[in-house]
Amino acid sequence: MAVAPIPSDLESPPTPDPPKRGVTRRQALAAAVAAGVGVGAVRLLGGALQNLNHTTTTAGAGSGTDWASPLGSESARVMQLLRRTTFGYTPAQLDAALSDGFSRTVDRLIETPPAEPPALVAASTPGGRFAVVQLQQWWIDHMLSTPTPIAERMTLFWHGHFTSDYRKAADNTFMYWQNLTWRRMAMTDLRSMLMKVTTDPAMLRYLDLATSVASSPNENYSRELMELFTMGTGNYTEEDVRQGALALTGWQLPRPDGTAPAPGTGRNLPVYTSQKSGVFNRRRAYSATVTFLGHTGTLDTQGVVDRILAQNATAPFIASKVAQHFVTSRPSSSFVNRLGDTFRRSRYDMKTLMRAVLTSPEFADPSSYRSLVKSPIELMVHASRAIGDSQLSRLIAAAGSGMGQTLFDPPDVGGWPNNESWISSNTVIERVNFVTAALAQAKSLPSSRDAAVHQLDGVVGTQTAALLNQATDEGTRWFVTLASPEFQLK
Amino acid sequence: MSDQVGINQLKRRDFLRAGLVFGAGAAGLAAGYAAVPDAFARAVYAAKQEGITNDNVLVMIQLAGGNDGLRTLVPLADPLLHDLRPQLAGSMVARALPLNNQYGLNHNLGGIKSLWDKGKVAIVQGVGYPNPTFSHFESIRIWETGDPTRRQVDGWLGRTLAQAYDSNGHPLTGCACGATDVPGALRDLQATMTVIQDQKKFGFTGGREVEAAVGALYKGTPGIYGALFDTAIATATETVATLRTSSTSYVPMADYSDKVKLVYSSKNQLAAALQLAAELIVTGTGVKLLHVTLGGFDTHYTELNRHDDLMGYLDSAVSAFYQDLAAHGKADKVLIATWSEFGRRPKENASGGTDHGAAAPLLLIGDPAKGGLYGSEPSLTDLDTTGNLKYAVDFRSVYQEILGGHLGADSKAILGESFDHVDFLRTPVAV
Repeated sequence: MAVAPIPSDLESPPTPDPPKRGVTRRQALAAAVAAGVGVGAVRLLGGALQNLNHTTTTAGAGSGTDWASPLGSESARVMQLLRRTTFGYTPAQLDAALSDGFSRTVDRLIETPPAEPPALVAASTPGGRFAVVQLQQWWIDHMLSTPTPIAERMTLFWHGHFTSDYRKAADNTFMYWQNLTWRRMAMTDLRSMLMKVTTDPAMLRYLDLATSVASSPNENYSRELMELFTMGTGNYTEEDVRQGALALTGWQLPRPDGTAPAPGTGRNLPVYTSQKSGVFNRRRAYSATVTFLGHTGTLDTQGVVDRILAQNATAPFIASKVAQHFVTSRPSSSFVNRLGDTFRRSRYDMKTLMRAVLTSPEFADPSSYRSLVKSPIELMVHASRAIGDSQLSRLIAAAGSGMGQTLFDPPDVGGWPNNESWISSNTVIERVNFVTAALAQAKSLPSSRDAAVHQLDGVVGTQTAALLNQATDEGTRWFVTLASPEFQLK
Repeated sequence: MSDQVGINQLKRRDFLRAGLVFGAGAAGLAAGYAAVPDAFARAVYAAKQEGITNDNVLVMIQLAGGNDGLRTLVPLADPLLHDLRPQLAGSMVARALPLNNQYGLNHNLGGIKSLWDKGKVAIVQGVGYPNPTFSHFESIRIWETGDPTRRQVDGWLGRTLAQAYDSNGHPLTGCACGATDVPGALRDLQATMTVIQDQKKFGFTGGREVEAAVGALYKGTPGIYGALFDTAIATATETVATLRTSSTSYVPMADYSDKVKLVYSSKNQLAAALQLAAELIVTGTGVKLLHVTLGGFDTHYTELNRHDDLMGYLDSAVSAFYQDLAAHGKADKVLIATWSEFGRRPKENASGGTDHGAAAPLLLIGDPAKGGLYGSEPSLTDLDTTGNLKYAVDFRSVYQEILGGHLGADSKAILGESFDHVDFLRTPVAV
């Protein structure tokens, strides 16, 4: 069983980083040509398939075969970086990133402020009573066209972490605001993020803090704040949940600026002239002493957050989740602890954590290569950008459900599962069907000449290589590329 | 049926091969899993074993989010209930459907009540486990794996598939209906199971040509996910072929409807999922272990209407399912069992709801069940330190009875130990 790295540039064994000067895509391709393997990916496969079969078998550690990691080369690391933090690239964007090199690309990704999506007109509908598909398409449209796709990847990450769903939030304007808030806070610090999360109107509804009062607190938010958002189980007691619930009482939904008739309901529902967060009502709040996470005294919401940030479990918990999302499905405890230390020392700064994650040796380790499965949204937006089609938001919004990912509607408060959980008999059919539908809708397709190099790093299994070689038209080659196992991975 | 056996045996070789590759994938994923035995030895084992030969079927219905046991099986005569639940208790007691002087079913469980009247509903009261966790995810995992110590990673039904059935030859032996991913209870890296969200959409656009191309594309895929992908594609293709046959020969004999008005609408189409389950059962696809889910039970707020609506939805879907099976002459083979990660707190909260609780009743429905109340209702006066009901019956006692008495599997091999006997089956099969 052979796996077939194509250009020699991507084939070289891991070596110390080359001098900081990057390589252009053109140079990478030229290197491939120089190595005598061909010009374009497809012709190259056609000409060299037999050779590749015989020459480049890379056995994994005792368990069948593994992908031959190309991450020893900087260009492959840049492509993996873009695959994991953006939604793919045009040839020009890839050129620019290759020319900047890995570290400058990391800087640019992390330091460029997020581009705001255009305002969603429907969000002014009284009571937020507009179809959720409008919200979904609005976000997907932005994913397809934004100049700062990493902001959308981070927003999606936080959407799956600080979950809310539109059903229980019962106001799609609140869900819209949450999306705007998560994007703006995505690369800030955990302390201010947790205050924004706690007082977010959709969250106040989703985890019932809006109806929790001192005389009879609701434990839902207190529990999930510690279990799912910051610390994980085993690091607090049931008494901490109860005492935390007391300390967190007092929040209410924001007061509307007025009401107006809501279409189709025959009722007047709230309208807001601007985005708002929850309001604190002292009369509903518990003001006496609590004992929470080892601290006894009066505690307000900021105090609760600060107690959580003072726990040793918090930084590694977030670091582990980030590492699992961007680096490897099973990060080692030493990696997690190292990231956690860096995160905590930076006063929980997300840019510091993200830089540490992306520039870690683990990110470039061969075991990291293709160790993550693209989520359905990632897959669909990547595929659309690969074929240069920015008109697919309707299809993408509809197709996510059968693959297990509907935006603004995570399966439960734990958010979406990842990696192997994305793979079942149902989801693989839906993934393939999406590719078929997207290609059928595309008015024209770009040349597939470089697709195997650009989209698949030029590292393909024998089956994919064989099918690419057999394909006689652009549509089939794009189908094989985008439906391939290689493209499902990141 | 006879020609399908032939088809299955023909395909079996492909699946054994997939099983081999699958083993390689499992080893690659080993970090979080216990040591995976040698793949070849496992394939030989799968090829050798006969598996269970009876044709009994199990359908597990997950009530996700933590079902309120006190609103499902209502204590009719306990005055404490009104003190603990001033907002929630009144109407639920007044409207309950009495089973005896002490207990009644939720007023929206009329269909299940009529099955009770025919002796086809067993209710095990006070089901739980020691030192309960109040985390959804931990408790779901405990119920799914059947292991409160949280060491086991495979699901109890997944282990049953792997140990007692030859699922590698028959991907429809275990099936999750109405889902997109494999539910934890069915998960086991050594078994094959299928997942069908919506039968109408289950198939490759472009038909057999695309199917063949994809089959060629996903063969010997490298990497840690390679075997998982290849097996999923092979399972999908096999399942598509089976559904092509089954859908032409099945006519539903009951009115399944998902057009229910829920205050907080559920994400699961329970009736459609059970209709698919019925199709798979009555057309003789060889399905043994089915899993469906109804979400929305995490009733921290405005529980009154939401929980009643969920009960009504459950009742109509289960009633249609039973009626359909009976009309097709299969009701004697199928045991339906509900499960939920926990019950809810006896004392209500300020949001008109209830927080996470512990012990709760579990319903076993169908001809194989021996109607009646089992276990014992936990006391409202003797709550644990968290204000929750103490359990009387370990949930694994129920699993043990299902595995041994209904499926004829070696429950001790699957659960790792023996538990108290709960005698809720009419005619337990001999193991």
